[in-house]
Amino acid sequence: MLAGMAGLLLVLGAGQAGRLPGEAGPAAPAPAAVPVALERRLAERLRAGVGDTVLLSLEPGAPVRPAVVTAVYEPPSDPAGVARREYGLRFHLPHLADFLGAEDRVDRLAVALRAGVAADSAAARFNQVAFGFRAFPSAEIADQASQTFVVVSRFHDAIAVISVVASAVFLLCIMLLKVEERRHDAALMRFIGVRRRTIFGALLLEAVLVAAVGSGVGVGLALLASAAINAYYRRFFDTALLFSLVTPGVLAFSVALSLGLGVVAGAVAAWRLVRTRPLVLWGRG
Amino acid sequence: MLAALRNLRRHPMRTGLALAGVAVTAAMLLDMVLLSRGIERSFERLLLGRGYQIRVSPKGTLPFDTEATLAGAAALRRTLEADPAVEAVGPFLGTSLHARRGDSLVTLFGYGIDPAAQALYQPEQGTDLEPGDTLGVLLSRPAAQAIGATIGDTVTLVGRLDPQTASAAVERRLVVRGLVRWLYDYRGQPSVGTVLPVMQDLAWQRAEDRVSAMVVRVREGADPEAVVERLRAAAPRVEVNSVAELVAHFRQRLVYFRQLSYILGTISLGVTVLLVATLMTITVNERLGEIATLRAIGIGRGSLVRGVLAESLALTVAGGTLGAGLGWATAEYLDRILTRFPGLPAAISFFVPEPRSLALAGATLLLTGVLAGAYPALLAARAPIAATLRAEAT
Repeated sequence: MLAGMAGLLLVLGAGQAGRLPGEAGPAAPAPAAVPVALERRLAERLRAGVGDTVLLSLEPGAPVRPAVVTAVYEPPSDPAGVARREYGLRFHLPHLADFLGAEDRVDRLAVALRAGVAADSAAARFNQVAFGFRAFPSAEIADQASQTFVVVSRFHDAIAVISVVASAVFLLCIMLLKVEERRHDAALMRFIGVRRRTIFGALLLEAVLVAAVGSGVGVGLALLASAAINAYYRRFFDTALLFSLVTPGVLAFSVALSLGLGVVAGAVAAWRLVRTRPLVLWGRG
Repeated sequence: MLAALRNLRRHPMRTGLALAGVAVTAAMLLDMVLLSRGIERSFERLLLGRGYQIRVSPKGTLPFDTEATLAGAAALRRTLEADPAVEAVGPFLGTSLHARRGDSLVTLFGYGIDPAAQALYQPEQGTDLEPGDTLGVLLSRPAAQAIGATIGDTVTLVGRLDPQTASAAVERRLVVRGLVRWLYDYRGQPSVGTVLPVMQDLAWQRAEDRVSAMVVRVREGADPEAVVERLRAAAPRVEVNSVAELVAHFRQRLVYFRQLSYILGTISLGVTVLLVATLMTITVNERLGEIATLRAIGIGRGSLVRGVLAESLALTVAGGTLGAGLGWATAEYLDRILTRFPGLPAAISFFVPEPRSLALAGATLLLTGVLAGAYPALLAARAPIAATLRAEAT
């Protein structure tokens, strides 16, 4: 983007209807119209379509130039810009440079290398002779541009660790209580001669079943929550980006963790129960 | 309350686990409360730090949000200063420039300021620029390190490089007057500052007297919002925002974090209710015989309900107290992660304690404890005396 482009102000040429709020009144007609492509959201806001004329001005009070909308485009979804909600429009480079009064000036150039040429070494060669510019391999730019998401990802990981710890403690507590609720049943079984191992196995099986059913319900809730989050934020930001992604890996990890914790908690609680004397379990010990 | 604590001690393992669960969820709740409004408060403090309550920027933009600039700064400044409630107006220009170090160039960020009315830096060492000091320059510590200069040294700033002729259009030799902390710099940002005309020369913006934005200080007792309205009418071709409006824009940008904090905070409360309610329900079920006996000897339902609620509250308060310490530590850790956002001013913090938010979180947690104890308390109150005693006897 050329410098100053973000400061472009738009006034729809065909009457008052599409003028951005807060802007000055209709501007004087200007000479040669240039072709311009409007981002879909901007076209919707201006209620402009292909063939309409828009009047462009660098700042309020500055001379206006007419431009004919030749296309309406949907930009690629960019997580970096989703919260900024900026509007975009595209010109042919010479038209924009002329409009900005910055003839033959650009912000950046993209260079396609011949097959077999390494981007790193080409960038290093450019930088040896560079004056007033700097060359970067695309991978380096991508790496720098993704720093925001690296930070967000670290934050999510930290929150996930806290959530997992909270869930684990919750699960352990619930399983312990669930097994302890069977004190009288365990005592009765011991009175009629059922072996400790059998009681332990029965209680453990029950814990596994509870953990399995709970995990299944949890997976269902996660899928529903993920769908709700995506639906809400896609509408909120008017974007096709995915905000929540439930991957098989995440599901496998979550189910394995909940099953594992459920089984361990059930086993510990069952072990404590079968080691206790039946009369104590019955409340008469 | 003593009886409640005694009852909790009867089952140390289950009480311990429940306390751990409540502590972790309370820590999460505290973190989310700090996050929900923390960054707004932090941003507001940053903006108001130098006492300027209004910002003026190019139409449709926020200060430093784009490369757009305002032309005719002197005339605009006079227009703004004409309002009787305006005490001071400070224009500033931000631009990219270079400094010579040996035979190479170091890229820097440059601020052009009016030293008499500035809201961008805090002097740390040496002397401040005097208004009209066209030979002096201020450096941030990272800039001083990057160009290897210290107070009293002469540095060469270079602007407007032309790659085709391999020459600089503007070059100025300036003396380092002092080291300053630029308030809006990100960590490690190498920034320099000169008086506005010098920076306009370096950025090739002098001819049209362009600046990035202006800060406005309102006289004591005047309402900044009313002044904003008047300035908008006086200068309709620029964007005038109060700090409150800028904070609202910022909040909109970071809506994700606020909503995340609401969602996770609500889940934390839900987990706490479930955990404490489950524990208390099972405990009450186990003690139905004891409860029936107490009822049989004349203890009223109200006393039993209060006992169960006290036990639930004790669990929540104890867990919440443990969670406060845990939450504080995790908030610091999470803040260290989030403040590494590229381009974020180093002075911004995401987790900021506010008495009102903390009080609200504490009250919500207490209410959660009462809610969690409501169902088991109802069970205790409704326990049939005769049937329960008969069942206990067999």
